[in-house]
Amino acid sequence: MYIYLPIAEQPINAFIVLGIGWLVGIIMGMVGIGGGFLLTPLMIFFGIPSPVAVASVANQLVAPSVSGVLSHWKSGNVDFKMGTILLVGGVIGSSIGVLIFNILNAIGQLDLVIKLSYVIFLAIIGSLMFIESFKLIIQTKRGKATRGKLHQHNWLHGLPFKTRFRKSKLYISIVLPLIIGIIVGILAALMGIGGGFIIVPAMIYLLGMPTSLVIGTSLFQIIFVAANTTILQASQNQTVDIVLAFILLIGSVIGVQIGSKFSNLMKGEHLRLFLSFIILLVGFKLILDLVTIPLDIFSISVIQ
Amino acid sequence: MRTLIKNILLIIIIALYSFAVFAKDNLVTDLSESTVEISSTFLGADILLFGAYDGQKNDDIIVVVSGQKGNIKVDKKEKKFGIWMITESIQFSNIPKYYYIASNRKIEDITNKSEIKKRKLNFNNFDLINNKIDYKNLDKKWYEALKRNMKKQEFWKVEENSIKLNKNTLFRKTLSLPSNVSTGVYNVKILHYRKGNLISQEESKIKIDKTGISANIYDIAQNFSAIYGIIAVIVALFFGWFTNFIFRRI
Repeated sequence: MYIYLPIAEQPINAFIVLGIGWLVGIIMGMVGIGGGFLLTPLMIFFGIPSPVAVASVANQLVAPSVSGVLSHWKSGNVDFKMGTILLVGGVIGSSIGVLIFNILNAIGQLDLVIKLSYVIFLAIIGSLMFIESFKLIIQTKRGKATRGKLHQHNWLHGLPFKTRFRKSKLYISIVLPLIIGIIVGILAALMGIGGGFIIVPAMIYLLGMPTSLVIGTSLFQIIFVAANTTILQASQNQTVDIVLAFILLIGSVIGVQIGSKFSNLMKGEHLRLFLSFIILLVGFKLILDLVTIPLDIFSISVIQ
Repeated sequence: MRTLIKNILLIIIIALYSFAVFAKDNLVTDLSESTVEISSTFLGADILLFGAYDGQKNDDIIVVVSGQKGNIKVDKKEKKFGIWMITESIQFSNIPKYYYIASNRKIEDITNKSEIKKRKLNFNNFDLINNKIDYKNLDKKWYEALKRNMKKQEFWKVEENSIKLNKNTLFRKTLSLPSNVSTGVYNVKILHYRKGNLISQEESKIKIDKTGISANIYDIAQNFSAIYGIIAVIVALFFGWFTNFIFRRI
């Protein structure tokens, strides 16, 4: 069934988009990290203009994040104080991100920057995830799973404005979570991602938060970052396609629920190994498009 | 349904023809639809153009459909640091975003060069107006690239030999509008040639408009963009909560 997308101004097969949202949702639910960084490039492969893909995926991200936070909240796995500081940074960051987005759009290099950022991030995340999960699988096979210290003291803990985070059992400066929030916010606006794959390791390794609180807290801040991005993109660039976002979110919220129910069926490291392959594959396809000679070195676009 | 439409069309054509003959009007045409609505299930549209003309042997008919004019940017990519990136752009102003030419035989055989230029019967004679760019001294490759890409996306199209003339009195032509066609008023010009000279012409208009939900969404996004953004967020918030609510019960 084809549905005409009012903002992207093209018809799209609704069932295929629904299916993609659903599959990415399942991955999100099973692995526990956001699907924006897979959805946006997939939408670009589908022929959705990259500015519209980025803004609409940011819009759809709100839904699985809300439904994720609600489940984590029930289990008491959200540090709202930490989340609030992260989201303040996130809102500042996403506003900066939309500003950068506008500048790049004006000079005509937005498409390239979006694709390049994806190539870089997918390559880094994919390889790190691959190495990490591969190591874990080898270690478990040898039967000596070692674990490093979760919470190490370093120079980062010497920053000013220290405050106590009771839930996370931390006494650290608010500067660091604020900066992490800003960086993730910029990426959210530029790339249409929640930034879970950056914020989760940052929270564990830089802030030293307990792993159990990390996903719920990051989802909590993603809601606000994605919402802020959506409103800014819609009001400044008119690039949010609500129909596209809606089809994607219906698929992904259902997928997330199914995925999280089945997350116990497969070992975490096997799942992550599998996901790292997908991420590297998507990144490879993107880089291939950038380095191969275009069919026509000239392209056209209608200016409104 | 099909035969019904066919019969109705036949009646209309006969009526038109007799009208033409009695009124001694040289050319009478009509369109099966004068408005096209882009709804949420729009996949392109076929409009039937039919007409009657007081013709002789070897008369010719040319149909030109032109859409709204606008600005089109041509980007040139070059390999820099191993990546193909846009390095140069030229904007063409006052260019029809849709242009379609159909005829009963090769246009070059129908009429002469000056008539082709005057009536814009190819893609080389649009009136480019832009104070900033000197189009005359611009490298030809830019306009060629524009033409090539417009044709590739079927925004510009020429179909010679596609109009069937019937006994020098009737003709019909299906105008196929692609699914990504832009909105606006389209001008349909029907030209009747005899021995290379234009002896009569007719003009009709097709209005292409967005309609239904997709039109409303587009309007809200353009005119009330902040409210649109807030609605988009609320919808997502609601469905996030709603699925959690549903799945908690399962």
